[in-house]
Amino acid sequence: MYVPSAVTKQSEIQAAINHVEKSLAPDVVRIRYEIGEDWSGQWAIFFRVVLTDDAARHRLREVATKVVWGLAQQLDFPGMGVFPYHNFRSTSEQAMLQEPAWA
Amino acid sequence: MGLADELLSDARYLADQAIADQRRSHMRRVISTAYYAVFHLFVEDFVEHWEFPDQRARLGRMFNHGPMRASFTAKDKKNPTQLEKELIEVTTSFEQLQKDRERADYDSGWSLVETDVRNSVTLAEEVFEKWRRIEGEDLARHHLLSMFGAKRE
Repeated sequence: MYVPSAVTKQSEIQAAINHVEKSLAPDVVRIRYEIGEDWSGQWAIFFRVVLTDDAARHRLREVATKVVWGLAQQLDFPGMGVFPYHNFRSTSEQAMLQEPAWA
Repeated sequence: MGLADELLSDARYLADQAIADQRRSHMRRVISTAYYAVFHLFVEDFVEHWEFPDQRARLGRMFNHGPMRASFTAKDKKNPTQLEKELIEVTTSFEQLQKDRERADYDSGWSLVETDVRNSVTLAEEVFEKWRRIEGEDLARHHLLSMFGAKRE
């Protein structure tokens, strides 16, 4: 069974996440991720990004673009055999949903 | 106004309604509509250059969602040109919209929030803006061919 090299590079991925979280604080509260197959069976890395309410409401595209580029600059997704997906939610939305994958 | 622009307009309108009403089914329609707006943006761009107007709709139906996810990589990954950067943003946004559309239509377990809805609409708006800025560039024209399924030379 094919497994993308991203699976063996989790410390590198986490380091990149830490860097992006730090550089985009306080707008970016935290970033979680998961590696798996997407709807078409292609390997992917799913980033779940929690933003402050202010960033989510007033600067969503601006901050989202910085997150996407920040991660892409540090991680070679094609080389890791995964396609990146990014989903965003605000602190309030996560507080209401209480989804462990985003905590 | 073409179908792509109408769908984008619909997505904006539906987004306001869905968020105001906090109606999950409408939120899903927004995400699906935002994706199809972008899908038709590419299809319209491709077929409008076909010489025979009466065949354009038929030609447009030859587009398949899967091959349209053709990725693009800059020659110098670490230092993309502005054009390459915009094309990368267009293709990655298209893939994101496609993935979200799939979830919106089929994943009943997805806990949609307002941010998902607004993100889809603004992603689609960005694709429209960026694509229309670069669509005449040789690189973009070749990429459109790849989305149609043509192999790279």
